[in-house]
Amino acid sequence: MIPFLASNFALESLEKFLGSMGFTAIFAGMQWGNLVMIAIAFFLLYLAIKKQYEPMLLMTIAFGMLLTNLPGAGLFHEELFAGGHIHWGEFVKQNPGLLDYLYLGVKLGIYPCLIFVGVGAMTDFGPLIANPKSFLLGAAAQAGIFITFLAAFALGFTPEQAGSIGIIGGADGPTAIFLTSKLAPELLGPIAVAAYSYMALVPVIQPPIMRALTTKKERMIKMSTLRTVSKTERIVFPIVIATIISLLLPDAAPLIGSLMLGNLMKECGVVDRLSKTVQNELMNIVVIFLGLTVGATATADTFLSPATLKILLMGIIAFGIGSACGVLLAKFMNLFAKEGNKINPLIGSAGVSAVPMAARVSQKEGQRENPSNFLLMHAMGPNVAGVVGSAVAAGILLSFLG
Amino acid sequence: MMIALAVTGWGWTEMIWATVISIGLVFFVLVLMVFVMKLFGVIFAQQHEHKLPKQAGKPVSAGLLHEEEIAAITTALKLYKSALHDRESEVLTILSIKRAYSPWNSKIHGLTQLPDRK
Repeated sequence: MIPFLASNFALESLEKFLGSMGFTAIFAGMQWGNLVMIAIAFFLLYLAIKKQYEPMLLMTIAFGMLLTNLPGAGLFHEELFAGGHIHWGEFVKQNPGLLDYLYLGVKLGIYPCLIFVGVGAMTDFGPLIANPKSFLLGAAAQAGIFITFLAAFALGFTPEQAGSIGIIGGADGPTAIFLTSKLAPELLGPIAVAAYSYMALVPVIQPPIMRALTTKKERMIKMSTLRTVSKTERIVFPIVIATIISLLLPDAAPLIGSLMLGNLMKECGVVDRLSKTVQNELMNIVVIFLGLTVGATATADTFLSPATLKILLMGIIAFGIGSACGVLLAKFMNLFAKEGNKINPLIGSAGVSAVPMAARVSQKEGQRENPSNFLLMHAMGPNVAGVVGSAVAAGILLSFLG
Repeated sequence: MMIALAVTGWGWTEMIWATVISIGLVFFVLVLMVFVMKLFGVIFAQQHEHKLPKQAGKPVSAGLLHEEEIAAITTALKLYKSALHDRESEVLTILSIKRAYSPWNSKIHGLTQLPDRK
């Protein structure tokens, strides 16, 4: 007999190979949770690709979710980040996966800030500089964050978790990820999915609220033309805002500083190459890393729990309250405004960030009542004020709860 | 951290206070920004005014100009306006290029011939 046929080597190798297969792990270990998570990842991929709901992030988040829930692949190890800390010692002892290394960028708060540099370089603060009252609408829309903060606490979440859930109302993905990674990293997956899903659903969530809180006459208000903003003002704005807010709220400095750095790159006009890089290449690279790793935190153990459903519910409440408060403050401001200087309350809902989709919704709703009404530039003011406002709110929550 | 508070053991009293203070702080910071930006608007508007030539836009009081001067200005404006035109020259700039046939640039020889299915 040929010797190699007599040995058990072939059988043992085959057995070893079969044992290492993900399919075996699923069926032998009855890991039904992983199967459900893989199905959810497929559904999110469908939403991102077919329905184009925030595809840039939802697609990568969904794929990260798929990769992390593949048994045996070992791409992400939650235990390396257990308790909200990075266990550096374990990085040496264990054999970390690709996503473990990439997740360090989230855990250390690097990706959200880099995204904010890109967002700043793409944002035109001109409408806000021309009409500084927009800051008030941006502030009012943050009320949803804090009301949800209380509501989440009432539902049994810890104050840190409640703060992270409330920030969904800011409708600002990077800010939500930044704050959650610091306060409640165990909820990062569900909160990121909720934040980006609701941002994509702005055109569905906001219009009914806007129509319910305004009269036809208010929706038809035409706003006066914005003044021209000089180049010097545009250059000085990011420098002044970054300095003042960072001095007032050091915890908001990473986000506000990054946002304003990007904006300064765009406005100063002397670093065009840097401006283009942060708007395109850097932003796109970071979006890939951020999406994949945030999706990777959505493991079956953390995602498939009643807490996720509560987070999704709280998120939509936060978003709705934020939009409503913006509209209501605009109506309140109109009580004191002179005729001809009134604000169309529809621009108030743009105070939740979601740039520029929330402003587009205001424009669309305004034109629905009065086709000759152009609210887009007026709505961009509260919209970009909302970005600053949500970063300030995140800084305040971090300083209280961090 | 700006404010170091022990979060463990927070009850409703602490939560409500934290919420009220947080909303207040958000409004305080953003209202402060409103004033800062308004101040900026005033400063930059003043600078803009200084840069403008003092005579520009100054209304001419009646009686300072003679009728002949007014007629000269009006004629000059009329001539200037009539010199402006908003019509294009209507000359087509697409030149047709005639090339002699060559198998090297023939599409018939370059494209895959598919069977004619009828």
